[in-house]
Amino acid sequence: MESPINSRLTPEPNHPHRRDNLSFGFPIFLISESIVFLSFFITYGLLRSQNPNWFPPGITGFDIPRAAINTVILVASSGVIILAERALRGRKLVMFRRLWLLTALMGVIFLIGQALEWSKMPFGLDEGLAGSTFYLLTGFHGLHVLTGVILLMIMYFRSLVPGNYDRGHKGVSAVSLFWHFVDVIWIILFIILYLWRG
Amino acid sequence: MQTFNLILLAIFAVAIIFGSHWLGQQAYNWLPTPATAEADYVGHLFSFLVTLGSFVFLGVFGMLIYSILFYRVGNRDTSDAPPIRGNLKIEATWTLIPFILVVWIASYSFSIYQRMSLLGSLPSVHLHPLEAPAHAQSSPTDGQPEEKIEVVAKQWSWTFRYLDRNVISHELHLPIDRRAHLLLQSEDVLHGFYVPNFRIKQDIVPNRTIDFRFNPNRVGKYTLYDSQFSGTYFAVNTANVYVDTPEAYQQWLAGAAARPILPPAPANVEHNQPPAIPLRSNWPTIQPRNFP
Amino acid sequence: MTNISTSHAGEPIQPLQPNWKRYFSFSTDHKVIGVQYLVTAFFFFLIGGLLAMIVRAELLTPQLNLVDRSLYNGLFTMHGTIMIFLWIFPANAGLANYLVPLMIGAQDVAFPRLNAIAFWLIPVVGILLLFSFFLPSGTAQAGWWSYPPVSVQNPSGQFVNGEFVWLLAVAISGVSSIMGGVNFVTTILQMRAPGMTFFRMPVYVWTILSAQMLQLVCLPALTGGAVMLLFDLAFGTTFFAPFKDGDPVIYQHLFWFYSHPAVYVMALPAFGVFSEVLPVFSRKPLFGYPFVAVSSLLIGVISIFVWVHHMFAGATPGWMRMFFMASTMLVSVPTGVKVFAWVATVWRGKLHLKAAMLFSLGAIAMFLFAGITGIMLASVPFDIHVNNTYFIVGHFHYVVFGTVTMAIFSGIYYWFPKITGRMLSDSWGQLHFWLAFIGANLNFFPMHPLGLQGMVRRISSYDPQYTGWNVVASLGAFLLGMSTLPFIVNVISSWIQGSRAGDNPWKATGLEWMTTSPPPEENFIEIPKIPTKPYAYGEAHRVTSDSSSI
Ligand code: HEA
Ligand code: HEA
Ligand code: CUA
Ligand SMILES: [Cu+2]
Repeated sequence: MESPINSRLTPEPNHPHRRDNLSFGFPIFLISESIVFLSFFITYGLLRSQNPNWFPPGITGFDIPRAAINTVILVASSGVIILAERALRGRKLVMFRRLWLLTALMGVIFLIGQALEWSKMPFGLDEGLAGSTFYLLTGFHGLHVLTGVILLMIMYFRSLVPGNYDRGHKGVSAVSLFWHFVDVIWIILFIILYLWRG
Repeated sequence: MQTFNLILLAIFAVAIIFGSHWLGQQAYNWLPTPATAEADYVGHLFSFLVTLGSFVFLGVFGMLIYSILFYRVGNRDTSDAPPIRGNLKIEATWTLIPFILVVWIASYSFSIYQRMSLLGSLPSVHLHPLEAPAHAQSSPTDGQPEEKIEVVAKQWSWTFRYLDRNVISHELHLPIDRRAHLLLQSEDVLHGFYVPNFRIKQDIVPNRTIDFRFNPNRVGKYTLYDSQFSGTYFAVNTANVYVDTPEAYQQWLAGAAARPILPPAPANVEHNQPPAIPLRSNWPTIQPRNFP
Repeated sequence: MTNISTSHAGEPIQPLQPNWKRYFSFSTDHKVIGVQYLVTAFFFFLIGGLLAMIVRAELLTPQLNLVDRSLYNGLFTMHGTIMIFLWIFPANAGLANYLVPLMIGAQDVAFPRLNAIAFWLIPVVGILLLFSFFLPSGTAQAGWWSYPPVSVQNPSGQFVNGEFVWLLAVAISGVSSIMGGVNFVTTILQMRAPGMTFFRMPVYVWTILSAQMLQLVCLPALTGGAVMLLFDLAFGTTFFAPFKDGDPVIYQHLFWFYSHPAVYVMALPAFGVFSEVLPVFSRKPLFGYPFVAVSSLLIGVISIFVWVHHMFAGATPGWMRMFFMASTMLVSVPTGVKVFAWVATVWRGKLHLKAAMLFSLGAIAMFLFAGITGIMLASVPFDIHVNNTYFIVGHFHYVVFGTVTMAIFSGIYYWFPKITGRMLSDSWGQLHFWLAFIGANLNFFPMHPLGLQGMVRRISSYDPQYTGWNVVASLGAFLLGMSTLPFIVNVISSWIQGSRAGDNPWKATGLEWMTTSPPPEENFIEIPKIPTKPYAYGEAHRVTSDSSSI
């Protein structure tokens, strides 16, 4: 057999293969997480197509304008977080912090909007499938927004520690990815919950 | 040496071919007495599966046993065996052969499935199966109208309603050589309709009616089991099924119409008088509901 | 020519077990966590086995005469749940935790802290499940599938009932598994030592990679289903309520979309163990290594598309039955590649029938049988007859016990010297094997004729015509129960006073054998170099860590 040991492969000292595990593992986790949502979406789609009379009598659908405002806010926040990341890459830490906080704020506004939406719903969780699915889907998504806000805040406070983001900012990219994920899920939700009529 | 090995291999192959053929023939006896036209088909399929399965099992297991018997070495022998890493030709063969075998198994199963569908069993759940069987010879209905029988499962009893006759019963009577047409329903949870001698089974989903047909062809008394777990008294949720001669069937119908009151189901009996048992949990249970 | 660099040759043997207390601490060392997993899982194996013993005792006679109906239903539900979620999963996770970093030449896993958290969720799941026996409602009693509507009937009326706790436990176990999945996949793809290319990885690592990727893609469907079921149970939603527009069949699809791949999550690591053990004790390279490795991925991919074979007798339309029949049968092709490769590995080898080897060989024989009954089950018209009968119970115990559990034992006999630095007694191991092998076959073979005759599963009393085979099965089960005793004695006494193993007692080639037994804190004193393909038995100038070429 030919010589198997390739000098190219000689290891460097000190943790040579500690690659960037977070940036690798976190997207894997998100794939997994999106399948939970997928299972909800599929259940919703099947149930809804099996039941022509989806909404309780007197209701034809959800109020779109209110939810649309919320949608715009969340989608916009995805743009803001991109700007924040760019600022960080440009080492403009103050700008980064501001935009970062703005993202979190927009998330909070979205959550408040959701709470309003819930309080105005004409039916409860246990009053038929329209209610069951609506609260489950938006609730589970809302939980993710809340998680996102908390992660944003943690990262914000970390950025206050001097020198913390000098050596890279894996956590920031991961949170940003998560935020985009939450955003995409919401767009799907908006389409299947609000725009799907008939 | 080479030829000797080949002869040995040939003997082995012939032996397992005969062995698996023999097992395949025996397989008919491993199933309960068939009592429907469907059961005969399943019997042939099972025999075929056992034959092929035995062939694969005996073949591979034989090689394994041979190696274990003849290639073991003592503790002292610390030498290595010849370093054979693989052989593409052999590997291609053993990828291909299972592939061919499963194509064979799948197509045979498919043809049996189709023949059973033609007989009317194996309902497609949402669509109504064609009323008229495509092959008249495969259906023993003799042009007589099918009798619709509503089967209602609940926790924990079976009720049979003969829709055209105004008969309600806790045992199922079917005339021989006439296609049985059941409408399966459940009032609470999933149940399953299963008579081992008939080789057919269907889960019953609450709030749906499932059309279910089969062709009894042997007179006798059989047992209907609940085959989908349905809670506390699942084990005793059984009923008697009779395949009758036409005369006996008419006689029974007449008698049953005159006797509308049904005795309590086994689950009710046991619930009211629990047997003496050393390990009691006393965990709460759904109450068995009354007949019918 | 191959060289396996040795990390320490000639160094004095270090003292064993410097500190046993670390096994009770929140350690982030993958080796400690591996042992924690294995020991915890084995504890639950005994509990799950004890429940099975009660089940078998009840089934010794046709009448109901040991436990009441509700308790019986709770027993098999808990038996199935505990065995799957608290024995096989964590035991596999334990072996993989211990071995994967060693086998790929890493110092630890990618996320050590996550790894520890994933482990510590396991006892939580266990405590929840065991504690549910003492609830006024009793444990969950709807089988391990927990099909609605029966699973959400809640006759106790209590909010915190057995089913509620069960769903909670399954959800937590799911979280733990996802953490584990992210961790293993990242570790294997990112942390391999320089030179450890994919086709130099041992098959065991391939199987773990495949199994964990399956876990990541499929498990969330069960989580989703469990969440909705929990809402139906506790908060009055109607996702699966048939009389309120819901659809119980959707739950079945979600459940099996995960729980079918779950059986390969259990089985793939077992295939990995066979692929490690057979070459060592045959003194031959693994036959067809690249194909055996890649077939793991193929098995994983195909198994995502077969789940409806658990619902053939359910509300399943004909085209679905036929499609899933074909896809199910296809699994036998990559699986066959593995089985044939194992047979070819022992063929003309120099076999040493140590306990580890016996367990692997016995497990392969039982897997062969189970695989063939599995292919029969995939044949729809036949499956309709035996679905939900003991034929199914027989089929899957040949895999979950006969294959996977035996493979785990094989792995323990093989790697125990590495883990503890001490040898297990081989003669006690042989005794363990024969009791287990004979017991298991006596126990699980009779289930096939019973099922063919029509004996339905999940019943606490049965028609007297089934008595004969049931008595054999129960006696076999008790023998199987006894078989664990020599194992327990062997492990405990060997761990304390077994003979020193040295670094590589089996003269194996795997990277895990190139470090000390037990390995040091960061596994290798030097970063190992990876020579060529694994399993270089019999190839010229192979150097093992004790420098003796054999
Ligand atoms: C580790 C677990 C494990 C494994 C590996 C398998 C492997 C297989 N199983 Fe099994 N199965 C279970 C665990 C497992 N199963 C469990 C737990 C259940 C029941 C759950 C419950 O209901 O509670 C179940 C139930 C189950 C059913 C449902 C039956 C029913 O409920 O009605 C079916 C149906 O198709 C099935 C099929 C198969 C097949 C085709 C394989 C294949 O992967 C087998 C492939 C292997 C071989 C075929 C042998 C080697 C191949 C060769 C030597 C090549 C040549 C062979 C041929 C051409 C035949 N299994
Ligand atoms: C996944 C792994 C797994 C394993 C390893 C086993 C192992 C065993 N199982 Fe299985 N079993 C399942 C998974 C498993 N099982 C599942 C998923 C179900 C379906 C559940 C359902 O229908 O929902 C099932 C169902 C099931 C049934 C069917 C029940 C029914 O349908 O009514 C039976 C019946 O015989 C049974 C028996 C056994 C036996 C005898 C063992 C033996 O191998 C066990 C051997 C036991 C030991 C080796 C331990 C012995 C312990 C002692 C002697 C005492 C120890 C002392 C203390 C703890 C203090 N099991
Ligand atoms: Cu298994 Cu599906
Ligand atoms: Cu399966």
